[in-house]
Amino acid sequence: MSLALRIRALLADALLGAYIGAVVYRIVWGQILGGSPPESVTLAEWLGYAGCAGGFALVGQLARCTPGAWLLWRESMRPWQRTVAQHVVWATVVLTIWTGWSVARVSPVEFFSAKGLESAARLFGALLRPELSILDAALLAMLQTIYIALMATLLGLPPALLLGFLAARNLMRAHPVTFALYAVLRVWINFVRSVEPLIWAVIFSVWVGIGPFAGMLAMLLHTVAALAKLYSEQVESIDPGLVEAVESTGAHPIQVVFYGVVPQVLLPFLAFTIYRWDSNVRMATVIGLVGGGGIGTLLMQYQGLARWQEVGMIVLLIAAVVWVMDYLSARIREMLS
Amino acid sequence: MRAQIELLGVTKRYPNGVEALRNVTVRVYRGEFLAVIGLSGSGKSTLLRCINRLVEPSEGRVYFEGEDVTHLRGEALRRHRQRIGMVFQQFNLIERRSVLENVLVGALGRVPVWRSLLGNFSAELVQEALHNLEIVGLAEKAAEPVRALSGGQKQRVAIARALMQRPQVLLADEPVASLDPATAHSVLRYLEQLNREHGLTIVCSLHFLSLVRRYASRVVALRTGELVFEGAAEEITPERFRHIYGEEAEEVELR
Ligand SMILES: Nc1ncnc2c1ncn2[C@@H]1O[C@H](COP(=O)(O)OP(=O)(O)O)[C@@H](O)[C@H]1O
Ligand SMILES: [Mg+2]
Repeated sequence: MSLALRIRALLADALLGAYIGAVVYRIVWGQILGGSPPESVTLAEWLGYAGCAGGFALVGQLARCTPGAWLLWRESMRPWQRTVAQHVVWATVVLTIWTGWSVARVSPVEFFSAKGLESAARLFGALLRPELSILDAALLAMLQTIYIALMATLLGLPPALLLGFLAARNLMRAHPVTFALYAVLRVWINFVRSVEPLIWAVIFSVWVGIGPFAGMLAMLLHTVAALAKLYSEQVESIDPGLVEAVESTGAHPIQVVFYGVVPQVLLPFLAFTIYRWDSNVRMATVIGLVGGGGIGTLLMQYQGLARWQEVGMIVLLIAAVVWVMDYLSARIREMLS
Repeated sequence: MRAQIELLGVTKRYPNGVEALRNVTVRVYRGEFLAVIGLSGSGKSTLLRCINRLVEPSEGRVYFEGEDVTHLRGEALRRHRQRIGMVFQQFNLIERRSVLENVLVGALGRVPVWRSLLGNFSAELVQEALHNLEIVGLAEKAAEPVRALSGGQKQRVAIARALMQRPQVLLADEPVASLDPATAHSVLRYLEQLNREHGLTIVCSLHFLSLVRRYASRVVALRTGELVFEGAAEEITPERFRHIYGEEAEEVELR
């Protein structure tokens, strides 16, 4: 039996043990059964979880009746060992759903309460009678949103193009220096991408002040990273045959990229970019909600005044524009492929 | 007389440990049509790529016109590649661009980088490209996109692209393996014509012995990276044939 597999099985059992311990103590006892564990996690509690982890892993190794044991001795397990392991898995699933329900404070009672239903009916009623008189103001704000999104896409395009090639493994792996650059860029791209644009907007609003500019910067940054990732994956999946053919003519590496790589990625790049503009419009409406300007900000203003008919107008307009952008971008991308 | 191309004791070990060539010595003489045969995986492509140095040998030496090209780099490597044309089984053309643009790719080594990025090729180069298209009988297709062409026509475009390099040698890596027999002959006849009339040295890997007998002036055979035969196609007796292709192979399958 390989050491790696053994370590994996031990880790699986240990994590499962600690997880079950923590969920039972903090959620089942602490939240559902009304117990009162202390706010902060004490050393004793940490040690308890470590004990759960070690104990569970130990039981797995000795009694061979845990999921980890199943990874190791799947073929030779006795029926009762198999059954216990299965029940552990089921118990974990049930516990997890129970926890999720409790943590999200899912409450059918509140969902169907008379007062709640009444407010909802008032709101939806207003939304269905949109206030047409603010259409021109809403349209102007919508245009602002579309331009913010366009700006973020256009300004993000050149750096994303450059990064798309520099973060493509197949172009960068030949030389240690370029490969190091590739690795650094990959980490940067994945980090920037994994932080939501909304959070970047909050960060930039501290830097340049709340407003459309902060929203645009946030989307710009996220666009560069997201497009660079899409582009580089496209570059990585090209047919190396054409590249080799151009290389064989004695062309300069820049010419090889231009004649061997670019023709293969041009149309997909265009499609990604259009898709990105369309998703930036959607994102811009959301960023507007936290002060990024445009239609989202307008919506928040009316929402603050509880002017639901105006809010209804804006929501309808957003839905219409998003739908049109979606449709257009899908059609253009269809034509490209 | 020294051979035009000399591979002396060449071994190629890929990073994954595969030895694609083992101590192979092959000489190619000016103006010959050399066929390279062997099962797939025997190292034919690697052998060809050691000549124009798309592949760098792990051991041994490669001489071209008496010059040691084994470990060339950078500008010197590019100049070396420019004098050797190459065509491939999968044609490797830019499908969406015109025939003419594809042929001009062969001239990239002679065009300043910044001008080639603008797609700005001189009138003389365009003239030369049209002339090369004439040689392969495709002058009237110059403006068409490559994707509209048949397989045989695409391979002829690839030949015209190679001719743009004004090469001394043409490498052909299974140039007819994805073509039907009649088209295969038409493409090989163009190679034969370039060989006879323009004195171009040709190194061509082929699968079918019938084609080898018909077109090649000499044959080398590889088996799992080792040179196992060198001579005229007529010298490949049934016994040697089995040695090259393995005991189970039947000649009929490879006609
Ligand atoms: N880039 C590469 N990396 C690793 N192994 C390779 C590479 N190219 C070829 N090989 C291996 O080298 C051997 C010879 O390949 P190749 O020269 O393509 O033979 P042929 O052209 O006769 O089919 C094969 O086993 C193949 O898998
Ligand atoms: Mg091959």
